[in-house]
Amino acid sequence: ETNWDMPTPYGDSNFHTVNIRSFADDVREATNGELDITVHSSGSLIKHPEIKSSVRRGLVPIGELIMSRLANEDALFAVDSVPYLASNYDEAWDLWQASRDILAKRLERQRLKLLFAVPWPPQGIYTQFQIETGEELQGVKMRAYNKSSERLTELLGAIPTQVEVPDIPTAFGTGRVDAMITSPSTGANTRAWDYLSHFNHAQLWLPKNMVIVNARAFKRLPESVQAAVETAAAEAEKRGWAASKKETASKIQIMEDNGIVVSEPSDALVKRLKDVGDTMTQEWIEQAGDDGQALIEAYRAR
Amino acid sequence: MRRFLDTIYRFGGFVSAFQLTLIMIMVVLQVLGRLLDTVLLALGMNSLGLQIPGLAELAGFLLLGATFTGLAYTFVGGGHIRVDIVHRALPGKVQRPLDILVTLIALAITVYGIWFSVLLAYESYDFGDVSIGMVPVPLWIPQTVMVAGLGLLAIALLDLFIGLITGRVTQIKDEGPQE
Amino acid sequence: MDMISMSLLLLLGLLVLLGAGLWVAFALTATGLVALQFFSNIPVGTSLATSFYSASVSWELAALPMFIWMGEVLFRSRLSQEMFTGIAPWVGRVPGRLLHTNIIGCGIFAAISGSSAATAATIGKMSVPELTERGYDRKQILGTLAGSATLGLLIPPSIILIVYGVATEQSIARLFVAGILPGMLLMALFVGYVAIWSKINPDGVPSEAEEALPLAEKIRRSKPLIPVVLLIVGVIGSIYGGIASPTESAAVGVALAHLLSWYGGSLNRETFSQALMGTVKTSTMIAFILVGAHFLTVSMAFTGIPRELAEWISTLSLTPGMLLFALTIFFVLLGCFLDGISVVVLTTSIILPMVEAAGIDPLWFGIYLVIVVEMSQITPPVGFNLFVIQGLTGENILKVALAALPYFLLLLTGVILITVFPQIATFLPHQMGS
Ligand code: NA
Ligand code: NA
Repeated sequence: ETNWDMPTPYGDSNFHTVNIRSFADDVREATNGELDITVHSSGSLIKHPEIKSSVRRGLVPIGELIMSRLANEDALFAVDSVPYLASNYDEAWDLWQASRDILAKRLERQRLKLLFAVPWPPQGIYTQFQIETGEELQGVKMRAYNKSSERLTELLGAIPTQVEVPDIPTAFGTGRVDAMITSPSTGANTRAWDYLSHFNHAQLWLPKNMVIVNARAFKRLPESVQAAVETAAAEAEKRGWAASKKETASKIQIMEDNGIVVSEPSDALVKRLKDVGDTMTQEWIEQAGDDGQALIEAYRAR
Repeated sequence: MRRFLDTIYRFGGFVSAFQLTLIMIMVVLQVLGRLLDTVLLALGMNSLGLQIPGLAELAGFLLLGATFTGLAYTFVGGGHIRVDIVHRALPGKVQRPLDILVTLIALAITVYGIWFSVLLAYESYDFGDVSIGMVPVPLWIPQTVMVAGLGLLAIALLDLFIGLITGRVTQIKDEGPQE
Repeated sequence: MDMISMSLLLLLGLLVLLGAGLWVAFALTATGLVALQFFSNIPVGTSLATSFYSASVSWELAALPMFIWMGEVLFRSRLSQEMFTGIAPWVGRVPGRLLHTNIIGCGIFAAISGSSAATAATIGKMSVPELTERGYDRKQILGTLAGSATLGLLIPPSIILIVYGVATEQSIARLFVAGILPGMLLMALFVGYVAIWSKINPDGVPSEAEEALPLAEKIRRSKPLIPVVLLIVGVIGSIYGGIASPTESAAVGVALAHLLSWYGGSLNRETFSQALMGTVKTSTMIAFILVGAHFLTVSMAFTGIPRELAEWISTLSLTPGMLLFALTIFFVLLGCFLDGISVVVLTTSIILPMVEAAGIDPLWFGIYLVIVVEMSQITPPVGFNLFVIQGLTGENILKVALAALPYFLLLLTGVILITVFPQIATFLPHQMGS
């Protein structure tokens, strides 16, 4: 019998965590308890920034993290965060299929095995005013947390403003920031209606969380258990994508119920965002090199 | 030798102080940038959005540096606290061996920590780990600072251990009320 | 070995190491090493290095040395002394007189700082020498400081409410608002206790010279308070004026303290470097203990002890009242050897579902949890306020803990009051619309 501790970054009610708990249950059931995975949610065992390296070092055998956190070490991992490259579930699925193998190979170099990935609901724009054309974002202080979000903010004509996650409500409340881009999930979970009034369902991109395993720990499992893990992972991926779609609708509903004005992007806004997206796709390809170019071609061919 | 050791502990303290000062200055500059923006907006002009890229992350690294490089300095100054109520009640004959024992335990833990921190830093270097924020910082840099700080602490502990064994030190320094 | 013997063994080990005179940070680390080595199968050294690194790289933690620095600068300027001179005329007839400055000072400071260690260090740096010199009862000085500094956690901003809010997906803004009234309630309890204590022990409270002055004279004598008021207004104003985050405001405080000290003529190269090097000592000491505590926390999580204990409670199927009673005991026990934030981090995941199943409002529970955790800050052997105050005064933590015992009981009273009258916590957040 093997016991695995699995650190995950988000809270218990988050749909990613719920999905991962089902995954752990599936594995336990399929292996008759031979592999028992204990999920430690909301960074209680290992904090988000250390999850990848902890799995690599074998401190924990398995863990979950946001893929695009690795953007600074390799631009390829940020492919799901390029605006308007894949901006609905079907496109995001195609992009994931086109990128899966190459990302898995990159992780293999770090003794990591990529098990599965589940997207967050599409990113939208949160503001304290109505967005019609996107012109409104000119000169507005918009939250930026890494290089790509900073670049996006600049291209939108807004002023990139650094705000740490726990500080977001205070920052909006005191006017240090006026707008942010995140998913309906995060918006509803942090009760954005306490400090924001408008949400534009712009569907800029669908960032993913991925589950990784230490390759050596995986190899040490009996083959039947390995197979059970892979089967459960494939199931979890399917279930996670469906849950994510449902999450989008339900969390938007919750926001509307709490008085947030939800709007679809106008044609003018879509055009503006597409222009920004094209620029950023080009810039991403330059960073990601030949592999990036090949990835985009494979995606476009689907 | 004595003078050299005292100098390096103090040097560690200064490096720690320098990093705290850097945190303070960076944050104050960031706040002044925002103040300027507020004033500009009030005057009907455009804000400049001046900010220090990756401030939060950099401050985190500087804090780690300040903590570890200051360890030895604080230690020799008697700043690290211990519960000495039992200790003080014991007869003098037992106190010294006990002091030697706890110093040895602390030294062992520190050396153990150094060994694995070196591995940590080396692995981060080997795999090219970088921080996730606006300024990608290679993680081996702060991790090496951590090793250096722990190394300095190990020297201070060894220094105390030898002092206790040779009888040069009769009592471990515990800081009383400051001033 | 079953988990009860395991936890008792570890607790015993920690007590022996602390009693032998091993430095607190090392004692915590050593206990963590033992826990990992014997009760888990994970790589011990790797865990140690990762924990040390990850616990000390923290933006939120950066506020701690800044607040300590602010206190050091004020302590070395005439400001802190003048502050007491300015307050003294107003408290001449109040039972307890300047003893209340610890409570009020911590309450105000808690509105700037999110941690109780920073609150204890900053206020204590100024108040302990001043009150001692004026001849106040030593035990009450230590007790009021240890007890009131815990308010740093409850009165917003609060690091621990952020941790709880993030882990349970509660609104942090609402949690902050919910902490305001209970915070004031606790302050009232503390003030009331000090007043009653002073009536019984008049010897512990020296009479202030300025007892019966006309109002105009009182106001005139309060002039020295102006710089301190400016400092508080500057720091709080920078947050609510939208130019600084709560973490950043700490550095604003350092800069303002230097400005005021310079204006008052007490800033020179010597006081500057003394304050800075004093900051290095205090903040390094606290940070190293935090690092050791984090490692112990991670080790405990790997052994599964806190999880199993919490799961055991959940199997008892208790009534809501009994559940809260059991949880209070559980948290106080855990709080004896883990620090407050660790307790929340380790157990919310298992405890919150039972709490919600029992029909308890998670928003209210957050406030309950913070007060219980505040209690753990002043219980030995592991209590952060005790460590900070030992570092500050050289008094042994057991003596400080004894002095803080009445405040521990007052916090417990606070827990009972918010349980009987939950509106104390929920009234304000329910006014926030939707
Ligand atoms: Na506070
Ligand atoms: Na405690």
